[in-house]
Amino acid sequence: MLNIVSLSLISVLIGFLGSLTGLGGASILIPILVLLGVPVKEAIAAGMVSIIATSSGSAASYVRDRITNVRIAMYLEMFTITGAIVGATITSVIAPQYLYFFFAAFLLTSFIGLRRLTESSGAAPVNQDNVSRWLNLKGSYFDEAKKRVIEYRATNALWGGLGMIVAGLAAGMLGIGAGAFKVTVQENILKLPPKVSSTTSNFIIGMTALAATSVYLFSGLLNLTLVAPIAIGTTIGAVIGGRVLNRLNDKSLRFLFFAIVVYLIVQMLYKGVTSI
Amino acid sequence: MNLKDLGSGESKLETTISYLLIIGVALSLALEIAGIAIFYKSHGNLDILLQDKAMFIQGRDFFSFLYQLFARGPMQNTGIFLMTLGVAALILTPFVRVIVSAMYFAWKRDARYTLITAFVLVATTVSLALH
Repeated sequence: MLNIVSLSLISVLIGFLGSLTGLGGASILIPILVLLGVPVKEAIAAGMVSIIATSSGSAASYVRDRITNVRIAMYLEMFTITGAIVGATITSVIAPQYLYFFFAAFLLTSFIGLRRLTESSGAAPVNQDNVSRWLNLKGSYFDEAKKRVIEYRATNALWGGLGMIVAGLAAGMLGIGAGAFKVTVQENILKLPPKVSSTTSNFIIGMTALAATSVYLFSGLLNLTLVAPIAIGTTIGAVIGGRVLNRLNDKSLRFLFFAIVVYLIVQMLYKGVTSI
Repeated sequence: MNLKDLGSGESKLETTISYLLIIGVALSLALEIAGIAIFYKSHGNLDILLQDKAMFIQGRDFFSFLYQLFARGPMQNTGIFLMTLGVAALILTPFVRVIVSAMYFAWKRDARYTLITAFVLVATTVSLALH
């Protein structure tokens, strides 16, 4: 029987995984809640709160340890919020089954450059484009697994912005944090190291979920006996994840990320097929 | 290794945001745990109440929800009030982070990032106000 204590404990694991991968964790939490008998809309509403908890709980450590790049995060937030607002606005005029297929295809792009990303080398030196250089999109962090400072420079700032609009559209249209899309854009387009991508995504998803939470607040779908234990559990899990991430090597982190992305692709294709 | 030399080159902002997030998360956790403890004392169990309308929070938009929360205060059930406050603190944390960032870049006279953070702040405020 699900109660506040057991839900808190489940949420610790969700927050832990969400903070490590930069995915937020709502896409794992929501099916579990539905399976346990929670109405789907209330489960999604609670999932949004879990994203904010994961984001803030883990970002506190990641920003303190200088792994999250706040400049890159703020530049990308501009696009993802625009996408989320547009997505939430046009969601009623596009058939949902097409959305699931479109976003599943987008997630498949995560596997582009899989070999490069799973290699355990440091961040590859990147020639910055003019916009990325003008925005000063670069940084460094100390990688505890490699025991050295990793310096990196982002590139393709405008394409990355466009990619984040797609991530925002996914968030706004599907009612998710869309962390997987954000990590994919940061790694494949902006060419950021995996740990910077995960942590910067974690930082950004809190803002995306914030706007969505307001919608669910208006709809009266936030149940305190669900939301409070989920917030407690995911925050604790995210704080633990925030302390573990930097000790993991990039390869382990990427395999964890890809395992969850495969699960998300299957989930989206299933929803797309069953909604036809 | 000095942390000030790492990150995005905005050490003061990064330290401020980090503390802000820790305070927001800790406050939210404390309020929610206290709320659940009082809820347990009054209900005698920790069941999830899916049908009880008193457990659902609602507001016309986020800002009016906050106003009503403080205007009404803990009238009926302190446990529910504290849990609601905890959720409100959690939701407010990333919002306050954007306000602080915009102020920081304006103070630093960094026009590019003042505009970027101001855009994010306005877009978020509008989406929260219009639900």
